[in-house]
Formats: sequence, C-alpha cells, structure tokens
Amino acid sequence: MSRSVAAVCALALTLGSAWAAKIAIYPYDGAALLAGQRFDLRIEASELKGSLKGYRVSLDGQPLTGLEQTSQGAGQTEWTLRGTFLRAGSHTLEVSLSDDAGEARKSVRWEARLNPRLPRAAKNVILFIGDGMGWNTLNAARIIAQGFNPENGVPRGNLEMETGYGGMATVTTSSFDSFIVDSANSASSIMTGQKVQVNALNVYPANLKDTLAYPRIETLGEMLKRVRGASLGVVTTTFGTDATPAMLNAHTRRRSDYQAIADMYFGKGGFGLPLDVMLFGGSRDFIPQSAPGSRRKDNTDWIAESQKLGYTFVSTRSELLAAKPQGKLFGLFHLDNFPSYLDRAVWKRPEMLGSFTDMPYLWEMTQKAVETLAQNPNGFFLMVEGGMVDKYEHPLDWQRGLWDVLELDRAVAWAKQYAAAHPDTLVVVTADHAHSLSVYGGYDYSKQGREGVGVYQDAKFPTYGDKKDPNGFPLPDTARGIAVGFAATPDYCETYRGREVYKDPTISDGKGGYVANPEVCKEPGAFLRTGNLDPGSAQGVHTADPMPLFAFGAGAQLFNGLMDQTEIFFRTAQALGLNPYLEKP
Amino acid sequence: MRWMLIALLALGGLGQAQSPLEFGELYSKTTIRGVEFSPKLQALAGKRVVMQGWMAPPLKPKLDFFVLTKAPLATCPFCSTAADWPPDIVLVIMPPGRSAEPTTKRIQVTGRLEVGIKTDEDTGFVSLVRIYADGVEEVR
Repeated sequence: MSRSVAAVCALALTLGSAWAAKIAIYPYDGAALLAGQRFDLRIEASELKGSLKGYRVSLDGQPLTGLEQTSQGAGQTEWTLRGTFLRAGSHTLEVSLSDDAGEARKSVRWEARLNPRLPRAAKNVILFIGDGMGWNTLNAARIIAQGFNPENGVPRGNLEMETGYGGMATVTTSSFDSFIVDSANSASSIMTGQKVQVNALNVYPANLKDTLAYPRIETLGEMLKRVRGASLGVVTTTFGTDATPAMLNAHTRRRSDYQAIADMYFGKGGFGLPLDVMLFGGSRDFIPQSAPGSRRKDNTDWIAESQKLGYTFVSTRSELLAAKPQGKLFGLFHLDNFPSYLDRAVWKRPEMLGSFTDMPYLWEMTQKAVETLAQNPNGFFLMVEGGMVDKYEHPLDWQRGLWDVLELDRAVAWAKQYAAAHPDTLVVVTADHAHSLSVYGGYDYSKQGREGVGVYQDAKFPTYGDKKDPNGFPLPDTARGIAVGFAATPDYCETYRGREVYKDPTISDGKGGYVANPEVCKEPGAFLRTGNLDPGSAQGVHTADPMPLFAFGAGAQLFNGLMDQTEIFFRTAQALGLNPYLEKP
Repeated sequence: MRWMLIALLALGGLGQAQSPLEFGELYSKTTIRGVEFSPKLQALAGKRVVMQGWMAPPLKPKLDFFVLTKAPLATCPFCSTAADWPPDIVLVIMPPGRSAEPTTKRIQVTGRLEVGIKTDEDTGFVSLVRIYADGVEEVR
C-alpha cells in the first residue's frame, strides 16, 4: 500500500513537466532578420493551470517592456509588442511564467544581420517570379523556344534569363508548418527572410481569429520605402490580389482576404505603405459590390479612388502604351486572370478571350512599370510575375503554362537591357515553387495517344520554330513536339496535345471526389490515367523540387550555389547595401 | 449514373411556355468594371426559361441549390476560397423541401429566371443570375 503511494508520487514527479504550460515565441527559435527590420513580437502561453501567478520576459538578460497582455481564452495568455526591431548581433529572448502547476520556461535565439553599404550598391530591384517555374518547367520552355540542331544534336541556345547572368543558384523551399510551400508563404520567405505558414502572407503564426491581426513581418519592399523612400510596383498576369503580387505589402494569415489585400495595396492596413505601380488583372476586387462581378463586400471603388490619389488609371493595352504617368500607375486589364499567352497572341478564341481583346503583354507592362517607378530618385522595387504558368500547370495544361514562361522570358530580356544601361539595378529571376512537370520524349503529332511518344533515339528533335507567331515565338502547331507528363496527378485522360478551348482535367463526381473529365476522354487518342493523389484532388500540386535563380546587374554575384529561399531576401538586401538599423528615413 | 427526373406539378409549371437560354446569352459583355446583363437576359427576367449545362461540385450532399455551369467544372466555387470559377454561372434554387441529386451528366433546368446581385445568407455566395427550378433532368 505505502509502496504504491510512493510509486504514484514518483510518477507524478516525472510527469510534472508534461503539465507545465506551453509557450510559443515569434520570431521563432533560430530566426534570422535584418537589424532594424520591423516585426510584431508575440509570445503565447497555453494550457495554463489555474491562474497565472507571475511571468518574466527578458531580451539578452534585460526585462522587455511595452508588452501588451491579452487572453484569447481559458488557460491562454499572450504578450504582443508591435513594430519592434533588433540591433545587430545575436539575441536571446527568455520567457518564464508560473501557474498552479509550477514554472514553465522557454528561450529562443535570434540573429540580426547587418549589411555594409557597398560602394556600388544596387538602388533598384526588378524581381521576376515564374510562378511554378521549377528547373524542369524552365527546361521544357527552353526546348520549345530554342530546340536543337537536328544535324548534330547541339542545342540552339538558351532562354534570355539563362544567358549573360552574373549569378546563378538553385533554390530550395520549405514552409514553417510543412516541407511543401504554396505561393503565399513562398513569396513571403523571399520578401521577409522568414519561414511562414502555408497560405499566409508576411506574418508569423498566432492563436488569433482575426487573420489580419497576425504578427506582421516587414518586407524588403516596405523597408526600402520606409527607410529610403523608394517606390514599389507589382506586375502580373493573374488577378491582382493573388498570393504572389501580394508579397510586397500584404500581411494576413489567409491569402484569400482579397478585399483586405486590395486595400493594403493602397495603404489601408498592414504597415500602411501603398504600392505606386500596379498592373494586373482581377478588377473584381477593386470595383464596388454594386457592380455585377465584383468580389468586394463594400462599395469602395478603387478605380475612382486611385485617380483621386494621383494614380494614372489604364485598362487596355492601348491606354497603357499611351499613358504618361507621374510616378503612380494603376492598371486593371481583366475582371479576373489574364487568358494565357497562347490565348491572347495565337489562338484568340472568343470562348477564352470574351470581351478582353486589347490586353498588354507582360514585357509591355514591365517596361511601363519600370519607366514609371524610375522617376523616383530614391530607387524602386518591382516584382514582375509570370503568374499563369502555375495556374495552367495545376490543371496539367503544360502548353499554356510553358508559353507563359516564354512571355516572362521576353520581359526578362527587356529588364536585362535596362540593367545594362542602369548599373544601379539588380535583376533577379526565380520561381516560388515547382510543379511535377517532366519532358521524357518527343511526340509525333501525326499519330494519336501513346503511339506518338518517342523515347531515346526515337524522340528525335522537336520542330518547334518552323512556324512563328507575330511576336517571333514558335507556334505550338508543329510536326514533332515534346512528350510531357506530371508526376502528381488526379485521375485524368491524357492526349499529349493542347487544346484551343481550355478544359479542366477532372470534374466533380458529386460526392466530394473527382473523375477524369469525360469531354477530354472523348478526344482522339485519349487514354485514362489513374491518379496518384488523394481522390479528393481535382488537379496537380506543388512539389518539393528545387528552382532556378538567375541574377543580373548590381550584386548579381551574391547569388551562387544551392540556397534556401529565405536567403534570397538576405542576398538582395546585401546587394542593396540595405541596413535599416543605421539608415534613417 | 442513374437517370433522374424531378417534375413538380405543384408549381403549375407544366404546359407553360419556356424560353431557351444559352450561357453565351447571359451577358452582352464583361469589362473590368463588371459584367453587363444582355438585353435578352433582362427581357426574360421573371419569366420561365430552360437552360442546359453541368452541375458544379456541390457544397453539401443534399442540394437545395446548386451551380449550373457552361462546361464540366473541376473547381468547387465554395470549397476553396481561392478557386477561380467562370463568371457565367447560374445559381439553381430547388423548390422548398425538394433537393437535386448530384450528377456528372449534362442536365436541363426549367424554372423562373431572376436577374441581379444576390448574396446567399448561409454561404455568402454571390450570384448574378438565378433560376427558381420547377424541373431538373438529365439530358439523354
């Protein structure tokens, strides 16, 4: 009897630690930031037993003051310090608290980096993101654009982004909460140097219900604007409030807070710093809810408001090319996403274009954006996205996706020339994540289905480029193409061919699952491929595959080797000689 | 897939004239400032129409309403907040107490046409064009 009591006591002692409160601290342990980079510090205690008797928060051994204490519910306490920053060096934050179960402690270590101001630092940054443009996707685009000499198999050349670079790297990705990324947290890592949760934009985790109140992390763009007075711009072919364009100044746990993101673009919310140039689709988030097709839940009309704020507003290619903006430019060219390059430039099917027949190319938007931003002597940060690459890789439509890589490459070609003429400009070309696209053979379009696939010596050489579109790009219509597949798919029917009117690869089975689209399965040569993703998957997914990075101009040599995505943030800041701690606005 | 027919005599729908309406006839044009309802659509508002299309992925197993689309659709407008779905969709509302069976076959819907922005209170789903159905059947 007495022995068993002793045993219970011993058990209680060993389990004591399991009853202690849990403490989460953000920035997380091991986080690296720029010295002077603003962030919202947050400490969350959960599973508190009884009442909180006392607590101590110290930074580098000194008590930390100014913390706001809140409670999200029973057994929970949080402390928040908004808009703080770190001095250069290593730091330790220690938290100890006591409740009815005893004491709980946690400490995290942070590193705040300092950049020397370089004699020839970059003043401007043009960041190109091919959304979903992994190495294999880029490789496939190069084969289409350049191909090989059929006499001897020698490649005819590289893409523009692969030519004449001063730095080249392979980039790996991961999320705070998973080793696969989505476009939102991947873009956040590039812009903040932090690991972020999937579907979150430039915020740390929190136990909050309000997605817009999550702890913010200042982005590279926001720092440049706050510290140096630089201008910010975003250009993309997707809807404007999509995850990648939101990377510059949006702060939310939920990438689908489209209305709030649109408002942040104009300085309402987040850190309150507006974008100066915006050219994209997705007007539905900028027009009042009274307009049929709007996605807003209020009557804000950003088209009208932007012009009061001094933005030049354009909505067609003709207007864009004729515009002479004074530092601020706002362009909405579609209610939603742009149709793909092939839809706009080659096929021009009314089913795909609808009323949108006067739309700019990505290289035209890039040029006008740079010309507008460059009016600011304090420099600029411009993000240009080939956004529909990913949008079409998801439904396995590799033709539309790859030609959008070619469109992006033409924009890079222009930016390279700009950087050559403006030595204070850094151009970085990379992706946010990859898709499971792979080229494994040639395809003979005189045949149907699997019969047309040629591997090894039977792959021969693609004949792309025998016919060209008005922009000088190869037409997809040729005798021999490429056999392309995806590693991660739902059930779908494969034909190895593109189609001028887009079709989804799957349709809902009405029970929460998806089946191959019967309309595709009726096409000549189509055969069913059983998927390998969860039956609830309608399309392909992002992969853990590495991504390319090419850099041109000032500081390009800093981008070399194999690097984690967060390092893009630090190398870009290094190229800029950006030191927000010492540089005062 | 079993054949399905819902015909509702209670609404006195049988024997009434109905005007065929195509997806391509919903809007005269779409601009960055929104969509414009076509003259034909506006003229048919409040009248009985018949439309053919596909049932979009449903929100729930029992459908007191569903989305009719021009082409078979993979994305569920409700499931993912980031899902992009075409603007030319029609919300089909079933009569009180009746529900439609989910189907992947092409269907024909008859009922009274309603035009204008409306937000569903339960789901927050915003629709521009609605049909209060008195008949939903698979097209054979």
